[in-house]
Amino acid sequence: MLQAIAFYLMAAVTLGSGLFVISARNPVHSVLWLILSFFSAAGLFVLMGAEFLAMLLVVVYVGAVAVLFLFVVMMLDVDFVRLREGYAQYLPIGGVVALLLMIEMVLVSFAVADRGAAAGKQIVAAAADASNAESIGRVLYTDYVYFFQAAGIVLLIAMIGAIVLTLRHKPHVKRQDIHTQVGRKRSNAMAVVTPKTGEGIADQ
Amino acid sequence: MLELFNHPAAPEAIIAIAALVLLPVGAFVGNARAALISFLGILVLVAAAIVAGSNQLGVLFNGAFVHDDFAAFAKVAIFLASAVAIYLGHGWLARRDDEKFEFPVLIMLAALGMSMMVSAGDLISLYIGVELQSLALYVLAAFRRDEAKASEAGLKYFVLGALSSGILLYGVSLIYGFTGSLQFADISAAVAGGAGTGAVFGLVFLICGLAFKVSAAPFHMWTPDVYEGAPTPMVAFFAAAPKLAAMVLFARAMDAGFLGAQAQWSQVLMVIAAISFVVGAVGGLVQKNIKRLLAYSSIANIGYAILGIAAGTQMGLQAMLVFMVLYMVDVTAFFAVIMALQRNGQEMDTIESLRGLKREKPGKAIVLTILSLSVLGMPPFSGFWAKYYVFKAAIGAGLWPIAVAGLVASVVAAFYYLRIIKVMWFDEPVSPAGPSRAGPSWVAMAGAAFSFPLVLVALYWLDPLARHAAAAFGLQ
Amino acid sequence: MVNLETLLVLAVFGPLVGAIVAGLFGKRIGNVPSQTVTTGLLFLSCAISWYAFARHTWGGQERFVVELLPFIQIGDFMSTWSIRFDALSATMLIVVTTVSALVHLYSWGYMADDPGKPRFFAYLSLFTFAMLALVTANDFMQLFFGWEGVGLASYLLIGFWFHKATANAASIKAFVVNRVGDFGFALGIFTVFAMFGTIRFDELFPLIPSMAGKTWHFIGQDWSALNLAGFLLFVGACGKSAQFFLHTWLPDAMEGPTPVSALIHAATMVTAGVYMVCLLSPLYEHALIARDIVCITGAVTSLFAATVGLAQNDIKRVIAYSTCSQLGYMFFAAGVGAYDAAMFHLFTHAAFKALLFLGAGSVIVGMHHEQDMRGMGGLRKYMPLTFAAMTIGTIAITGLGWPGVGGFAGFYSKDAIIEAAYAAGQHNNAGMFAFWIGVIVAGLTAYYSWRLAFMTFEGSKKWAHGHAHVADDHASHAQIESHSEPDASHDDHGHGHHGVDEHHPPKESPAPILIPLFVLSVAAIAAGFVFAPYFLGEHQADYWRGAIYGIGGEGAHAAGEHHEHPPQWVVFAPLVVSVLGLLFAAWFYLVKEGLAKRLADNGGPLHSFFYNKWFFDELYDFVFVKGAKAIGDAFKWADKNLIDRLGPDGFAWSSLFSAGRLSRIQSGYVYHYAFVMLLGVAGLLTFAFWLVS
Repeated sequence: MLQAIAFYLMAAVTLGSGLFVISARNPVHSVLWLILSFFSAAGLFVLMGAEFLAMLLVVVYVGAVAVLFLFVVMMLDVDFVRLREGYAQYLPIGGVVALLLMIEMVLVSFAVADRGAAAGKQIVAAAADASNAESIGRVLYTDYVYFFQAAGIVLLIAMIGAIVLTLRHKPHVKRQDIHTQVGRKRSNAMAVVTPKTGEGIADQ
Repeated sequence: MLELFNHPAAPEAIIAIAALVLLPVGAFVGNARAALISFLGILVLVAAAIVAGSNQLGVLFNGAFVHDDFAAFAKVAIFLASAVAIYLGHGWLARRDDEKFEFPVLIMLAALGMSMMVSAGDLISLYIGVELQSLALYVLAAFRRDEAKASEAGLKYFVLGALSSGILLYGVSLIYGFTGSLQFADISAAVAGGAGTGAVFGLVFLICGLAFKVSAAPFHMWTPDVYEGAPTPMVAFFAAAPKLAAMVLFARAMDAGFLGAQAQWSQVLMVIAAISFVVGAVGGLVQKNIKRLLAYSSIANIGYAILGIAAGTQMGLQAMLVFMVLYMVDVTAFFAVIMALQRNGQEMDTIESLRGLKREKPGKAIVLTILSLSVLGMPPFSGFWAKYYVFKAAIGAGLWPIAVAGLVASVVAAFYYLRIIKVMWFDEPVSPAGPSRAGPSWVAMAGAAFSFPLVLVALYWLDPLARHAAAAFGLQ
Repeated sequence: MVNLETLLVLAVFGPLVGAIVAGLFGKRIGNVPSQTVTTGLLFLSCAISWYAFARHTWGGQERFVVELLPFIQIGDFMSTWSIRFDALSATMLIVVTTVSALVHLYSWGYMADDPGKPRFFAYLSLFTFAMLALVTANDFMQLFFGWEGVGLASYLLIGFWFHKATANAASIKAFVVNRVGDFGFALGIFTVFAMFGTIRFDELFPLIPSMAGKTWHFIGQDWSALNLAGFLLFVGACGKSAQFFLHTWLPDAMEGPTPVSALIHAATMVTAGVYMVCLLSPLYEHALIARDIVCITGAVTSLFAATVGLAQNDIKRVIAYSTCSQLGYMFFAAGVGAYDAAMFHLFTHAAFKALLFLGAGSVIVGMHHEQDMRGMGGLRKYMPLTFAAMTIGTIAITGLGWPGVGGFAGFYSKDAIIEAAYAAGQHNNAGMFAFWIGVIVAGLTAYYSWRLAFMTFEGSKKWAHGHAHVADDHASHAQIESHSEPDASHDDHGHGHHGVDEHHPPKESPAPILIPLFVLSVAAIAAGFVFAPYFLGEHQADYWRGAIYGIGGEGAHAAGEHHEHPPQWVVFAPLVVSVLGLLFAAWFYLVKEGLAKRLADNGGPLHSFFYNKWFFDELYDFVFVKGAKAIGDAFKWADKNLIDRLGPDGFAWSSLFSAGRLSRIQSGYVYHYAFVMLLGVAGLLTFAFWLVS
């Protein structure tokens, strides 16, 4: 009973905050609503006994992604009024498509209610002696090593991409180069010149 | 030692290790020596192609990785196309003093992703393969970060790609929910007697996600903008190998995973193919930029390839493989011609700039004419054979209404290829053309020679190879 | 010794080789070589034909067919390119090759000033090849090929002077009118194939009697199948042989060079229709209604053309109408069952009509391309040889000769036809009709033929008074033959280089022109009494050997009703009317010279009716040309506004329109793109849902 109440509460909060994400006038508010929706989704995970996923959601999405969003939105000088131009214009057709998709999703839900998901298969019960994190840890480097390594390469590409697209060696910035500093000799730092009278040394 | 090369995953291992080695090496030697990295990258990819064509077949990682004839055929083509892309791209970047050692590494990693895609035995490896490839492509699209158009292209590609990944993942979760498995083998068993609404919905989401990757309409919107904005060699790469990889993945997902729902996905694919014909044929009519034009051309051509899958027969898969390979050669050569030519220091990437090419560069004009006729589907050029295979398969499977639609679309699309030819041969040049580039010229000439007459020889071995590869799923 | 088959192949394809050489390489090898090649090959072909003819007539050579190669094969339909050699084709071979060879030779003189000689000779040879293919055909397909081939060559030659607007118009007219006939012809071939399942003559003919009573139900009526086939095929013959209703092209065809008129529009091509009817005599003998139609059409044509011929002033047009009239004779001969007489008239007519045309050409050359007879006169003194030849031709065409004794060529064949018609008329109204018309036309023929001769060669020299045509000297070099519509002839100034007057009197023509005239004169005199025994007389059965139905073949009956002796008055009737015609012509044009002109100037409805060719051109112009144009305009409107707008243009427009719409959707905004993707997802999901449920 208590679980049911918690479920409906959190589900309603998730949906409602999701709606506010797209309808809020201020993008900063939108991000804050998004954080709320992540939180309540994490609560739903906890209800299902997937506490590790709930933690991931909070740590990664709330702690990193959403906060990053927040900084970006706050730092960029975005003209919020212009951003919302045409909202009313797109609303009807967008609403129709959304309604269509929603109806179809509802139909899928009926299918679930009707025959049950997973074609009648039972979800594998978590091992009694192990936590979520432990169970995942057991398979991550064994059965799923292929995916794990491949995901690592995906992240590597993301890194390479970030560097390639953003790293700049600005030519006129002075940097300290220890190697050349230490290897400096008198001969490549000094020159003896004998300027003629009245000509200066500018051209040497 | 040699047994290692015989391992089913040897090509992927070679590329992954080589990429991981070449990355720090490149960082150490710097961009000035990027040519060395590119050269090594080409060597590695060619070696991987040889290994992929000759190593042992097998299934690894609990069915997540499948190396069968179908995958082997695609891998060889993908690795070779990637090698050509490194060659073309390196020269292009070198001419702009913008060589970066990351470029060959990114291509190699993209090839690794494509290799994962074609070998995907379950939905997770499917997704990770797609992401691996896509992420590399996003970076490549924006590789000329100081050009506004390239940055815009990269960003659009990334944002829309993310949306499509979301759609795809949603489909994966639905499928998992309704079939209880991520593995194609299990899914196939679950839907053997016909798929329920939930699984079919998941399948449609999956199809939509994959359709984005092959730029089939109506998920094609990114294509013209990315083709126009991204650097030409990158586009030449996008248009070839990733399309083949995505098509092969498409075929595997449909035929290995959802054979029981063939009645549904065949219909859905036909709709996608029909929209692609129309959008590709009609959309190209008003284009002035050749790269945009080729984007629409690729949309239409993907429609034909999808038609091969929609046929749901072994002959259809064979047709799809032959079509894609012939199309890859054509389109790579097409972009190579554009890279080879310049006028006023600019690439000749508008149709207008090709005016009077016959007078100034008769060789290039002939090459471009052959390629245009080929993509148009004029016998006896390779494009004709490609379409011939597809239409034969489609009609063999009883899909003749859609085949007729495809033929009509070819006729409409003929307009813009013929316009290129007309502009080259009958119009006056606007300003003198600069000297053409040797490297892309060779690629273009080789491609044109393949289009005709080498294709006639090539089909002798391509036909049985593709048939053999297509037999991997045991369809009729 | 080379066998006859090989020789015949050579004879048929020789002209084609000549045409190819002169046509494709004429410019490179020059005028004289191309003329030599074509003419030489034609003479070779002619020699072979005569040799073959001799072998057939006196050497007892049997009928044979050389099958060269399959032409078309579709299902049961099979056509083989072959050379059929029998009495009919032997006859036609010598007619065609002889006239053609002579015309080639003649053209050396006639076309001496023309810049397009290789082209001209190539066309002539091409025509000859097509005609030979036609006469040696062993099935309808090859017959049709030759039929169209001669039509093409005729079109090209009528329009040979392509910068002359009237020549182009005439060539188009000939082509279009022939299409009407060819349509019927093609339908006839279809009918035959549908009925018998074969188009080979040798397979077809034995089957005909079994189909005699067969009817087809079509548009609520029963049609006799054989009569239908016969009629449709005859429509084709009408077009090619310029019979009534489809005759209008022939007089206009005189726009072509005169040698062409002699070869194509007198001796050979226009007789193809007669030849076909005779060839198909087994069919027509079982299709009596169709045969009567042939008979009546022929008779009407002969009367019609003869009356029109009375009033024409252009020398070539008179001969053209004469040709038309004589073809009518041949048709009604065939129509009364006297195929042998028809063929014989074809044979003799080829000789004397070619002679008349070539003689007229000689006169035209002498008069520096003046064609209006009213501007001639008194030429006998200046062109004696031409005069002699023309006189022989005129005697031959009027059929002068004493029954029982002998006469010129036309006498034998024309009298045979009239007698046959009389014999047929004993139990057939169509035959009697034809007989009376034949007699009347014989008189008219004599009148207009002698009128031509007298106006040209006798009387006062109208040209001597500086006829207006001297004035006009600027005409282009090649435009050497005038367009002489009768109603335009007054302001027709003749486009010659120099007109003729007292100081430049007409001169006799050169040898290349005179030699053919001489050869044909001999033929016009002798063809009758030399060959009459074979075509009509005692050697008849031995000559035809079944090539014509009922004569000398298996099951020959008492061939042709015309062998019974008709009454004496019938025998002498043609002679009497011919002489009457001669006398009238002499009265009007010799004794009372100028009387005819006054009569013509005074007009009178009958003269105007004849002069204007029964107003056929006007009628056709009103009904077909204007009507067709009205229909065409209607269709043009419909095509432009309905078919094009909905079809190609509409498609192109909607393609471009959708392209414009597409590029508007392709706005560059990521959220638009994303929205389109979502639309796609939603649409496909809906579609899939519809599929599942």
